[in-house]
Amino acid sequence: MAVAWIGDRSVPVDDAARKAAELLAASLCPVFSLDTDVHGTRAALALARSAGAVCDQFDGAATAREAAQYTDRGGLFIAPGEVRRRADLVVIVGALPAHHDELIAEFASTVPDLTGKDAERRFFLVGDDAKTPGKAKAVRLACEGGLEAALGALRAQCAGRQVTHGVSHFDAFAEALAASRFPVFTFCGVFAGALALEMLQGLVGDLNRKQRASALHLPASPNGWGSTLVSTWTTGFPLRTGFARGHAEFDPWRFDEARMLAEGEADLHLVVAEDARQVPAAPKGVHMIALAKTAKPVAGAAVTIAIGVPGEDHDAVVYSSRLGTLAAMTAKASGELPPAAGILRRIGENLPERESLPC
Amino acid sequence: MLTRVAGGEIVDPVNGRLGTGDLWVEDETIVPPPTGRKPDLTLDAKGCVVMAGAIDIHSHIGGGNVNTARLLLPEHHKAHAPRPGATPLAQLGWTTFETGRLYAQMGFTTVVEPAMSPGAALHTHLELADIPIIDKATLAILGNDDFLLSMIRDNASAAMIEDYVSWTVASSRALGVKVINAGAAAAFKENVRSFSFDDEVPFYGTSSRKIVKTLQKAVTGLGVPHPLHVHCNNLGIPGAPDTAAETMAAAEGLPLHLAHLQFYSYGSEGKRGFSSAATRLAELVNTTPEITIDIGQVMFGQTVTISSDVLRQFTARGSANPRKSVIIDGDANGGGIVPFRYSNDFFGSLQWAIGLELFLLIEDPWRVFFTTDHPNGAPFTTYPEIFGLLMSRDARAKAMEAVSGRALKLTTLPALTREYTFEDIAVMTRAAPAKLLGLKDRGHLGPGALADVAVYRKGGDIAQMFRSAAFVLKNGELVVEDGAVKKMRWGRALRLKTTPDKAMVKRMEAYHQQRYGLSLDWFDFPDSAIQREQPFGEVSCRA
Ligand SMILES: [Zn+2]
Repeated sequence: MAVAWIGDRSVPVDDAARKAAELLAASLCPVFSLDTDVHGTRAALALARSAGAVCDQFDGAATAREAAQYTDRGGLFIAPGEVRRRADLVVIVGALPAHHDELIAEFASTVPDLTGKDAERRFFLVGDDAKTPGKAKAVRLACEGGLEAALGALRAQCAGRQVTHGVSHFDAFAEALAASRFPVFTFCGVFAGALALEMLQGLVGDLNRKQRASALHLPASPNGWGSTLVSTWTTGFPLRTGFARGHAEFDPWRFDEARMLAEGEADLHLVVAEDARQVPAAPKGVHMIALAKTAKPVAGAAVTIAIGVPGEDHDAVVYSSRLGTLAAMTAKASGELPPAAGILRRIGENLPERESLPC
Repeated sequence: MLTRVAGGEIVDPVNGRLGTGDLWVEDETIVPPPTGRKPDLTLDAKGCVVMAGAIDIHSHIGGGNVNTARLLLPEHHKAHAPRPGATPLAQLGWTTFETGRLYAQMGFTTVVEPAMSPGAALHTHLELADIPIIDKATLAILGNDDFLLSMIRDNASAAMIEDYVSWTVASSRALGVKVINAGAAAAFKENVRSFSFDDEVPFYGTSSRKIVKTLQKAVTGLGVPHPLHVHCNNLGIPGAPDTAAETMAAAEGLPLHLAHLQFYSYGSEGKRGFSSAATRLAELVNTTPEITIDIGQVMFGQTVTISSDVLRQFTARGSANPRKSVIIDGDANGGGIVPFRYSNDFFGSLQWAIGLELFLLIEDPWRVFFTTDHPNGAPFTTYPEIFGLLMSRDARAKAMEAVSGRALKLTTLPALTREYTFEDIAVMTRAAPAKLLGLKDRGHLGPGALADVAVYRKGGDIAQMFRSAAFVLKNGELVVEDGAVKKMRWGRALRLKTTPDKAMVKRMEAYHQQRYGLSLDWFDFPDSAIQREQPFGEVSCRA
């Protein structure tokens, strides 16, 4: 089975890794887009440091928004297990990606067990796009102007301020809130912008003056959040960190992979993806190195190396939105495809000037 | 490989070896002077002090809360990276890599992360595994977790509680157990805003005292070498000395360790209702032999407080500087991250002086441990300066000139003349921590000991001497020379050797299925998940 290609030509993995290293060494501005597990990220960061590259999450705008919530203002957050066991009021803020459906359905099919007998869980939805969880009943809080307007109005109304356009069903919410021992608001950076996230934390902060409340982070991309954590302990910064000047620099605007490619700054794009179909076409003049689960070369890629899917083809450590922390995954089958980490390290071994100290 | 550390002033109180001589190391171990063999490597230690590698028993170096602090404060690291040394938090040792490098350069070879949430043990161990050179260990946090509190409420047997503690320590790969504001995190979830030693935890009907006593008994019963590590209630509040005193009294003859006592030594006297209770608490420690404490010394400057005492951190949000914070309601303790700047105003000066009073008034260096509660009182990179203050009354006098005189008047510090000797330092930062943690292979320089050795060149400036070790050996390898890392290596995380009871594993499986809808596998991990060769070292329980 072919597992590595230079252009369309099938080659041994070592040749492909050497070619990738050559391209990296020749690149003036390499950018990495990651969709991988913890060990893939560790290896990618080490390679980026050696090659002076930028690391971002693949399609990482939403992940960057979620990180900005921490880097810019902080907030109140809760573990998912504690939501299941304690939240008697769950407020779903905006639409959520489908990979969170199962967890939300689980909240709908269970009741809190840490808040006394006969506890129930009630649901509210903020904005027009939030979906009703499973078979549960949910009351929608919405107003004209989208999610931000709804959150802004809701915060003002909760604080007892007059608003011209309040959210629908506010009285029902006020009543539920007053009766609640622990309300929790879910959020995700995919459909909530920076302003909405800020409004939400403002609301949660206000509520905590008198009662408890918190916010549940349901990451836009669990891999993206896992990589954010690894990048943070390795470099001191979340993703969108670059090593062009030898040390780590964080700049969420400058080191946005999509922007760097669109504006012609990057001349090399290394993509680590679970699925080859995710990999975008390389813009003109950009060399692409594609690491993905694939049986054929990625169209337009200068180098393609096949890798396994973390937790399926090989054991992995991934961020679990269900646990709210990192979890070890045992491979379902002993696949032949290698983890991204191993391939990234092999590329690094072929770089001319190897960093002597690991990062 | 045979190494001779030649002609240094050996300070090894455990073996009673004090004076000039050679120290011999073969491979990973300290050996008696061999006859008729030439060393492969000779390190010239003339004019140097030779001690065992230092051991830090309480420093927040890795895990979910530490990483959240990094995420919250990118500006601190950004300031650091291009211009080390010149900016606030510049010496924080913010990344895993820097943490290992900076500790090693000061001659520290083992560091304990004292607040691991058992549910996030994998994350903690992955971070620790990325800290180079030094060995690490963790304390698992219990005492706000539903399983334990329910067992106490339901009058579970002592044996069953021991089984649960043992399971937690084993599955989280911890070296010991810590309790942080026992019951308060659970109470805070029920909107309780202040919590003392005899207050009741809503829903569970138990008290902080009961939780501490239950865990102390279990830890002692299991033979965990490290006594229960207690972060008391009411941290930072004037009046906390009463809480600390109550907690010490509750030790009742069994070992108990109180963390960062400085933060509990605030009286409520004087015009500002803030005074020093260091004399009172030091006296209590001196007369309660089963108690050990560490200080949590405050030093001036920017830092960030990282604590699993979520109630305390929530209360402190208003003092955040810069003005941002994170509060986490976790599965058990959760935690809070609040950046803070200690200034030499009245309050900061008093905190600084109280820590030093405790250091100087507690007589037995075997029972007082050297910490800043990194980074809560100050970053660990301030240690050399603190050694200077402890060893030199002149250095203290000079430092006192730069702090609030009104604060100093409320303390005994100006009158204290004690100076720590090298022997005291070796006890406090080497021998005593090894004993407290049950690490028989280190903390001394006797034949058979692990060759973790720190060599410091003597000179006028004590701080400079401790900041950059002349030589450091880790497992016999020369890793630091002239204050700079020469050789990279990966240390291990030391874990307690304990086998969880099978019936308890079954119970935990049922509990996780029922309460979280997940199999126990989700909460456990194989050693191979760390992806390092031999990520763990094992430490035996007391017989
Ligand atoms: Zn601490």
